[in-house]
Amino acid sequence: MNERASTRLAIIVIGGGASGVLLAAHLLRNRDADIRITLIEKRPVFGQGVAYSTALPDHLLNVSALGMSAYADDPEHFLRWLIGRGLATTENPRVYVPRSLYGEYLATVLADLRGGDGGQDRIHLLSEECVSVTTTAAGVDVKLANGASVVGHVAVLAVGHEEQPSVEKALAVRPGSPDDTPVDPDSTVLILGTGLSMVDAFLSLTASGHRGRIVALSRRGLVPSIHQAGKPIRLDAADVPLGTDLSYFVRWFRRLVRDTERNGGDWRDVVDGIRPFNQRIWQSWPHSARRRFIDHTRAWWDIHRHRMPPELHERVIRAVAEGELELVAGKLVEAKRRGDGFEATIRRRHGPRTETISVARIYDCTGITTDLAAGSNPIVRSLIDRGLARPDPLRIGLDVTPQCAIVGSDGQPSERLFAIGPLTRGAFFEIEAIPDIRVQCAGLAKRLAAGAGIAA
Amino acid sequence: MLTKKGKYGLKALVHLSELPAGQLAFVNDIAVANNIPKKFLDAILGELRNAGFVQSRKGKDGGYRLARLPAEIKIGHVVRVLDGPLAPIPCASRTQYQPCEDCDEATCQVRHMMLEVRQAIAEVLDNRSLAQMRDAANDDMLAGIKYQI
Repeated sequence: MNERASTRLAIIVIGGGASGVLLAAHLLRNRDADIRITLIEKRPVFGQGVAYSTALPDHLLNVSALGMSAYADDPEHFLRWLIGRGLATTENPRVYVPRSLYGEYLATVLADLRGGDGGQDRIHLLSEECVSVTTTAAGVDVKLANGASVVGHVAVLAVGHEEQPSVEKALAVRPGSPDDTPVDPDSTVLILGTGLSMVDAFLSLTASGHRGRIVALSRRGLVPSIHQAGKPIRLDAADVPLGTDLSYFVRWFRRLVRDTERNGGDWRDVVDGIRPFNQRIWQSWPHSARRRFIDHTRAWWDIHRHRMPPELHERVIRAVAEGELELVAGKLVEAKRRGDGFEATIRRRHGPRTETISVARIYDCTGITTDLAAGSNPIVRSLIDRGLARPDPLRIGLDVTPQCAIVGSDGQPSERLFAIGPLTRGAFFEIEAIPDIRVQCAGLAKRLAAGAGIAA
Repeated sequence: MLTKKGKYGLKALVHLSELPAGQLAFVNDIAVANNIPKKFLDAILGELRNAGFVQSRKGKDGGYRLARLPAEIKIGHVVRVLDGPLAPIPCASRTQYQPCEDCDEATCQVRHMMLEVRQAIAEVLDNRSLAQMRDAANDDMLAGIKYQI
């Protein structure tokens, strides 16, 4: 390869889902950046990943079209794309469109940039699975499942969401994964988790004509709240208490909600108003506060922060009222294989006794992987095994710096390995949604482009 | 504006940061060494404890110590706890906004400027740790001694 002779920065982006495509888009958008990107995705299609590969029309984006532009500095980019296809109007920009459209949008963004001036020369798409990454004296070496390898100066991990259920839920299946085969429509199904992923799984089941019981289980049995147009309060960093204990912060937050409601506002105005500072708040907290937040506060935060479009919310509430969906606050004590199905033992919250139900399928919709090092992603495991990466202290993602550099087992941030998206949640906390990921991608793209002149 | 409460709180924290890690200090000793009224200091340390910056132990051998390393405690974070939102004048705050009696805040140019100033204050104070503040003072003192020689 003649990479060495060139001064161009060779960037390998591993994962061509939403995060990977957004990073590529932000890199390509800067026409002056002397770069060459190799974007590697194991699925045949770019821009979909796990999140946007669903074809079900009921699976809507949980953020309105106004929040989903690929570029934070051009917030109506996605809306214009929708309008251009007759899927939205300027009068009604707050639409919640099917998720599959978003995958298409990202693919178009990528195609447009590739088709642009010299685009083909600046990005190369590769439909392959990566199995490992190593650093070399000159840069990085990415091994592919077909035995070939790709070399570059830096590699960015954008592998997104875990696709396998976590170890302690080994009998469960992630919805939409290859193991998610059709289930008997009259059987009982257990869903672990009651958040937005549970709603997705419920919608998929009903769309496929499921008639049996659907039981959704989580510690508190709380479902996401409803979206409502509001007016987020304005805050400056100077207003927000940082670096305190969790209870101090929660008291401040509750008081702010009370004050806002007293002035005619809504709690959503506070939840949305504080959003620009969420990462800074998280990063300012001591480890103890982060731990306590994950263990005790997150469930409450999530249902207020990650809300449902009105039409979905109404449907879920109706399903619960009519017994189509059973919400259970409690714990899965044990799950055993029995015949073609499973026996699940559940202990209800505040109840001493357990009950056992026979189910045909257990879905894992619990979100955060409890131990990243035990996860299914070969790339992540290979990096950890070689000491090139380590889990963050909460073990919910990789340890990265606020600049997205992967931190090795020696505590040193790498100059060659970076990560974006959900993998970085230990450091960024809220990094699952497009409005957050696009900002993270813009920042990393800028830093990588700045290094492009001095690479090689 | 930094109030007396904010200033005393920071002095008390510097005092604690100069002790060997984990060692407790009597409130009285901190008060005398830094010329802070003891009752006021009691209240200040109580608030710092509620926010998680210091820990206390009751009893005869009781006292206060830092709950976190001095390098991890940011000055701006402490000031927000003691003095509320960082603001050079009371109207330049969004959560604890107090209008002035004698002007219209929507068109007040002074307020607009002060809203910008508070961002700058946050930028400085949130990037300085207790350890840096402590060492900066010592460095100045050392420089002073050298100069005298």
